[in-house]
Amino acid sequence: MAGRGGNRSRLLLVILLVTSLFLITLDLRGVSLTKSSRSATQSFLAPIQKGVTSLFSPVGNFFSDVKNFGKTKAELAATKAENAKLKSQLILSADMKGQLTKLRGALNLAGHGGYKVVSARVIGHGSASTFSQTLTIDAGTSDGISTNMTVLGATGIVGVVKETTASSSVVELMSDPNFKIGVRIAGTQSVGVVLGQGDSHFVLQLLDPSGTIKVGDVLVSLGSDGNKPFVAGVPVGRVSAVNTTGASLTQEADVLGFENLNDLGVVTVVVAPPAHDPRDALVPTPEPTVTVYVTAPAVPAVSPSPAVGASNTPTPVPTPSATSVKKKANK
Amino acid sequence: MSPLRAFLSALFLFVIFTFQESAIARINFPIAGFSFYLAVLIALMALEESSGAVLMGFMGGIILDLAPSTSTPFGQWSLVLTVMGYLIATNRESIGDFTNRAGAFVGFVSAASALTLAGYVLTGTLLGENNGAVVHNMVVIAGNSLWTLLFAPLVLPALAKLRSLSLTSRERV
Repeated sequence: MAGRGGNRSRLLLVILLVTSLFLITLDLRGVSLTKSSRSATQSFLAPIQKGVTSLFSPVGNFFSDVKNFGKTKAELAATKAENAKLKSQLILSADMKGQLTKLRGALNLAGHGGYKVVSARVIGHGSASTFSQTLTIDAGTSDGISTNMTVLGATGIVGVVKETTASSSVVELMSDPNFKIGVRIAGTQSVGVVLGQGDSHFVLQLLDPSGTIKVGDVLVSLGSDGNKPFVAGVPVGRVSAVNTTGASLTQEADVLGFENLNDLGVVTVVVAPPAHDPRDALVPTPEPTVTVYVTAPAVPAVSPSPAVGASNTPTPVPTPSATSVKKKANK
Repeated sequence: MSPLRAFLSALFLFVIFTFQESAIARINFPIAGFSFYLAVLIALMALEESSGAVLMGFMGGIILDLAPSTSTPFGQWSLVLTVMGYLIATNRESIGDFTNRAGAFVGFVSAASALTLAGYVLTGTLLGENNGAVVHNMVVIAGNSLWTLLFAPLVLPALAKLRSLSLTSRERV
């Protein structure tokens, strides 16, 4: 029996091997029967595969997820680092936006006055230990900047160029105690000198004994000979208080600068004066005062009715007032 | 093997083939992949008598040749699996009865699976097919054997029981 079975299986093997080789030959000779059979199989499998894909998609990447677990952790750490970087970039972007605003203001001021300017970025502030009020900008002689040039901010004067190198300059701020600038009260011909005090307050010494100073007066630069160190017509500050005593020969006043010297990011250096003195063209227009009236609703009268056994604490009686309470707020 | 049994076996193999192409192929196994179909086919061949194993190998090979993802000549799988069926049938008795020795059954299927894939690569080379780098082919073969070794214990006992239930009383004898 074993021999008969073995012969039969060997015969079957030969037949099937020949059949297989025949199929291979047909395929290699380009008979379309084999290709069309695979196409038919694909047509049959396609809808099943589509249906199974949604079912197996959660587990399809199970092994790779397990294998890449450590890699995923590394990616998470990388993503966190990237997130921190993006946050810092966002802060930088906000900083750049602020600097852009300041630059726009400075350029507007320079443009209105007709000054030819070079914009520069503040790259450093003077050491506090020297008691000098300076800052360093990233523009120097290679940009056409030289000493004794006027430095402007977005709303007014900032200082004067004190020292220069090829690529940077040191600016003496108007808050420096050694800083002095000749000014004129806008709208009048009264002239004086504004002196730095080491902080944001300045002192105005009016040179004209007959001149008058009022709170709110705007001071503009008088201009120097040859427009150095100061060009004419640049807003310097506003009078905040008048200190007049009968004993002094000159009138003095406290002045608040237009420019916040502690918040400078971008400045412009006037490298060429305007063709004509801008006079009072750069005096900032006072902002209109907004008055808001708030009327409180009428409070209804309530008759007190003390309960039995209540304490002797006097109950406050509501004021039967129906008058309007007007609050005035100035912004 | 009766014609009915051959037909039912072919139908069963086609269902397994559909499952392999639709579901198992979607799983991204590390280190090559797992051919569930090949494991089932070899297990069935191992459980059949000699002529049945050869015929099962040929039918299984024809079904595998139908796979749309196959780029080799139609008939190559049937050639390899027919030879494998014969080899399994002639060497199965040296191992003994698989039904009571699950470990030996799984090991035999895994080894036969690796041998089948190696034979397929070799045949492809003889037919002038570009099979890629040798190292890659070895990794594929080893990976498939590994997965077969891991998953076969879950399937083969049930498969053996299912086959014994399908046998007629005459076939049992």
